[in-house]
Amino acid sequence: MKFSFDDFDFSKFKWSDIFSRGVALPTLTIGSKTATVPIVQGGMGVGISASRLAAAVAQEGGIGVIAANAIGMLEKDYYKNGIEANMRALRSEIRKARKATDGIIGVNIMVALNDFHNMLQVSIEEKVDIVFLGAGLPLKGIPVEALRAANVAVVPIVSSAKAVQLIFKFWQKKYNDIPDGVVLEGPKAGGHLGYKPEQIDDPAFALEAVLPTIVEAVKPFAKELGREIPVIAGGGVFSGSDIEQTLTLGASAVQMGTRFVATTECDADEGFKQSFVDAKEDDVVLIKSPVGMPGRAIRNQFLTDLENGAKKFFKCPYKCLASCKAEESQYCISLALDNARKGKMNHGFAFAGTNAYKIEKIVSVKELIAELKMGYAESCETTFTRIKDEYAVAMERFAEVKQEYGVALDNGIEALKTEYDKISEMGASDYFDDKIQALESVENLKKNYAEAQEYIQELVEQMQLFMDNAVYE
Amino acid sequence: MERNEIFNKVVELAVDKLSAEKAEIKEETNFIEDLNADSLDVVDFVMALEGEFDMEIPEDDVEKIKTVKDAVDYIVNK
Ligand SMILES: Cc1cc2nc3c(=O)[nH]c(=O)nc-3n(C[C@H](O)[C@H](O)[C@H](O)COP(=O)(O)O)c2cc1C
Repeated sequence: MKFSFDDFDFSKFKWSDIFSRGVALPTLTIGSKTATVPIVQGGMGVGISASRLAAAVAQEGGIGVIAANAIGMLEKDYYKNGIEANMRALRSEIRKARKATDGIIGVNIMVALNDFHNMLQVSIEEKVDIVFLGAGLPLKGIPVEALRAANVAVVPIVSSAKAVQLIFKFWQKKYNDIPDGVVLEGPKAGGHLGYKPEQIDDPAFALEAVLPTIVEAVKPFAKELGREIPVIAGGGVFSGSDIEQTLTLGASAVQMGTRFVATTECDADEGFKQSFVDAKEDDVVLIKSPVGMPGRAIRNQFLTDLENGAKKFFKCPYKCLASCKAEESQYCISLALDNARKGKMNHGFAFAGTNAYKIEKIVSVKELIAELKMGYAESCETTFTRIKDEYAVAMERFAEVKQEYGVALDNGIEALKTEYDKISEMGASDYFDDKIQALESVENLKKNYAEAQEYIQELVEQMQLFMDNAVYE
Repeated sequence: MERNEIFNKVVELAVDKLSAEKAEIKEETNFIEDLNADSLDVVDFVMALEGEFDMEIPEDDVEKIKTVKDAVDYIVNK
């Protein structure tokens, strides 16, 4: 016999072994720091995520992030001493957050900032846990030694696997080191987007499509240097179930912005938060930012005015972003964002992710994290149940095939036996007379048996395929 | 190095980094407009130039290198 049902390794099909993630959120380790909740609160400027929000998130076990861009607008002398105000404000926000919590605190710095190095320097001096470097590629002139000496982990924010390769190869060659993780910010995110306008709705650039390529891209580097390189994915992650799906695609954690705006602890004015509660689905729109990238925001009169060609008064204190075409611009984005932060929505606008319209109310960070944990657990249960059900169906079908096999086998053996009895009953001489005929019928029987065997083999193969799919789908 | 030699090396790197056809690259070829390079490709290409010619190209100069001729002239004049 070529095969047997007993040859199949059933342990392979145990759903509990295969789906062993469990229903509690996994932890997230970046460099030497471990967050108990794998949620990074994305940095949100200007001043939307400062010390209060970051500390609240860190306190709940996630990673709280202070946005460094134009943070000096929180100070009185920004228009006189922009760069100095930025450094002072960042330092003070980091210290406030540190005082409020022992949790993990990061700083988000745009590489395109003219005072990028000053912001990085303050973060190193204040020994923040992680710097998230976005809006540009962190290649040249990164003070890697100083970052390492202060135990500050470095995590670039990217939108493609190509950027990961470029950054990691460059770092390896130039610094003999690699970043400690990457954030993939997908096209559904709020704020500035690292995509061309035509890529934003293209399925090839969707988070689900790009995430697996990023997970693959970091692997060889992680292996070569014997380190874990967690991939953190964000942009449109709204619920615990979204978190489950994102982790299933290979992410180690998620980055979330929009949900954290709608919290009591978010550093923005209540008017800013209320615009999220009030927003309808088609209020969330794409805009062209003066810094030369598309952005996603909540439509309001200010944005409509701009669309109609209005020019908003501003003075540019110093060119804060290398790529900003301030002279040609209708407005100053830092000023507009800062006005919005203060609740002056007529003089600015709110950046927001595609899912902002789903926000119904303002909750505390504690409630939000609890809701996400619960949603994650429920989503895991649903996945468990689905796989369990599929497994049960597969087992039922398997039992059927096994029975068919048994019947075929029994019939075959039964027929052989009958023939044998007949032959032996006839006695030797008669047997010789009937030899040819008998042999013929045995041949026939053999053929039938072989056919039955083939049929069963086929069924078993189908079965195998079905179960493989059921388990790994 | 002769100008011609530099030109050939630049073309070689453009073929490699910008997945361009050797035959389509001329002195006046513009990396972004003619070879469809995106900003990441350009960074990758400039880094390759730096490695090949053992030099540093500051960010501000990168913006000035738009065509093959720009790249060759830049290297010749260094
Ligand atoms: C109001 C707002 C401001 C933001 N500002 C920044 C920023 O200054 N720097 C940055 O890298 N990302 C910024 N982002 C993006 C977030 O860090 C995060 O990646 C994004 O919001 C995730 O998508 P989600 O909003 O769908 O969760 C901002 C997002 C929002 C909603």
